[in-house]
Amino acid sequence: MAWPKFPFGGSSEDKEARRAAEAAGQKRSAEWEQALTHNALPPFVEARLAAARDGLTPWTSTMTPAELLIAVTRGVRPIATVSGTCWYQYGRSWTEGHAAGWRSAQHRMRAEAKACGANAVVDVKMRTVRGGPAFSMDFTLFGTAIKIDRLAPSAEPIISTVPLVEFVRLLQAGVVPVGLAVGARYDWLIDASKTYAGNWSWNNQPLSTLGGFWESLRRQAHSELRADAARQGDGVLAHTQLSQLLRQEGGDKAPDRYLGRHIVLGTVVQAGEAASIARDVRTVVDMCDGSSPLSADPGDQDSVYGLNEHEGAI
Amino acid sequence: MAIGNTIPPHALERLKGLRSDNNPKGVFTSDFTVNEFLLVRKAGFEPVGLCVGSCIYHVGIQYGSWNKNQEMTVLSQAMYQARELAMSRMREEAADMGADGVVGVRLEVKRLEWDANVLEFVAIGTGVVHAKGHTTFKGPNGAPFTSDLSGQDFWTLLQAGYRPLEMVMGSCVYHVAHRGMLQSLGSAGQNVELTNFSQALYDAREIAMERMQQEAADVKAEGVVGMNLHEGSHNWQPHVIEFFAVGTAVSPISTELDPSTIPDPQLVLSVNS
Repeated sequence: MAWPKFPFGGSSEDKEARRAAEAAGQKRSAEWEQALTHNALPPFVEARLAAARDGLTPWTSTMTPAELLIAVTRGVRPIATVSGTCWYQYGRSWTEGHAAGWRSAQHRMRAEAKACGANAVVDVKMRTVRGGPAFSMDFTLFGTAIKIDRLAPSAEPIISTVPLVEFVRLLQAGVVPVGLAVGARYDWLIDASKTYAGNWSWNNQPLSTLGGFWESLRRQAHSELRADAARQGDGVLAHTQLSQLLRQEGGDKAPDRYLGRHIVLGTVVQAGEAASIARDVRTVVDMCDGSSPLSADPGDQDSVYGLNEHEGAI
Repeated sequence: MAIGNTIPPHALERLKGLRSDNNPKGVFTSDFTVNEFLLVRKAGFEPVGLCVGSCIYHVGIQYGSWNKNQEMTVLSQAMYQARELAMSRMREEAADMGADGVVGVRLEVKRLEWDANVLEFVAIGTGVVHAKGHTTFKGPNGAPFTSDLSGQDFWTLLQAGYRPLEMVMGSCVYHVAHRGMLQSLGSAGQNVELTNFSQALYDAREIAMERMQQEAADVKAEGVVGMNLHEGSHNWQPHVIEFFAVGTAVSPISTELDPSTIPDPQLVLSVNS
């Protein structure tokens, strides 16, 4: 292991090296600031990705050996791991802030993929670092940029939240995973009469006002998901959703208030016309320990929203 | 107790009981599951013994500037040096038992209850040897290769025409600047990106990935598989985070395997739910 040696000694060489490291750190910070302000990549990131594109440095990938085997035999070459990060404050709207944060991270990851001459990014994972100021969150995406033999580098590389095995499986079925769609809505419901929760009644009854509010909110989020997906492809698979309905009691003189928020994220695909898929059913012995790729295990990819209502894998 | 990278006497005693050229009927130890064991054998390797390296390390103290994004070099160095010690001790144990490599390496950091600045680093994996004495499966400089891949992944990697060289890693401990009162008030109630936070996390991840890639280049690897990024704070002050990139550097085995003979894997649609 050749780890970087940091100059901590009191010799003049070490002092000089510390000054040089300090100056390099400041230059790097300035380049990051410039890049984030202008929606670009810092020069040193561009250089790293260009070297990976040209095969001058070892490729790096999140692929498992099984995925590497698929890549080798299907004419797919891993290039580099790419990421997109955006720390976003949702002071005005939690849900809209989350949607904006993920979109920004996706845009930045795509810029990295483009810089390394990729056709697609596969195995895109959502990550977050906890902490930081209140009402803000780290929105990070990272995955493996790949190049498909005989295809020219793409101006807009595909962003795929599925691993390479599923990516290839979809391609073989004529379906192209193309991106990540987000739908998010929030709203307040004012309950001046304090009756919406039905707590003044002994009877069984549907809570129609509250239910209607909640249903409408979910539908709006799904409608937004559909609109976002329509800009990229013609369908959505494997979505993760988070929904919360919170009650704020108003006390004696103020009305009760309900806050509903619903966010849903999914993998956008270009499915095209329905085609028959020729597959035999065969019994196999799975040699995997623990979670198996033969079952629909979402893994840790949706750990960002590990609260409730998980559906499918993303 | 031995000092530095030498093997303690009791460990040498234990190694004598394991399978080796001198003791072919010895007992192997491993933490393989049944499936892993069968697939490692299928790949042409035999387990030799569990290899362990550990290091209890006092992490020095460093405070980041309140309003400055910066790498915490004292902490970065500590995390590197302690991991290196644990890994090199494990590798040395593997070499002493005649292993060609170590698979399924788990590299863990544990906090000790009684001192917040003391961490324990443990590297543990199963030493394996090529059953037919093939000598080209060693790691860099003839030392045993190391890999965090499971037995199944090891078999699959060889099927894909690659062999593991070394577990490569990149670490960066970073202090994320706090926001000033005026900055916070200026953006209160708004939906807006906090660029100094974005910049800090981006930079720290980038440094960790660059360092991991450099390690792969140093061992002349073609690439890195199974790379993962971990974030963690080992009881440090708030706003100090370690980004740790780790994966297995691999090299093609074209000398032992004709690429055209790599089997075409069959993709399946699972009917499991």
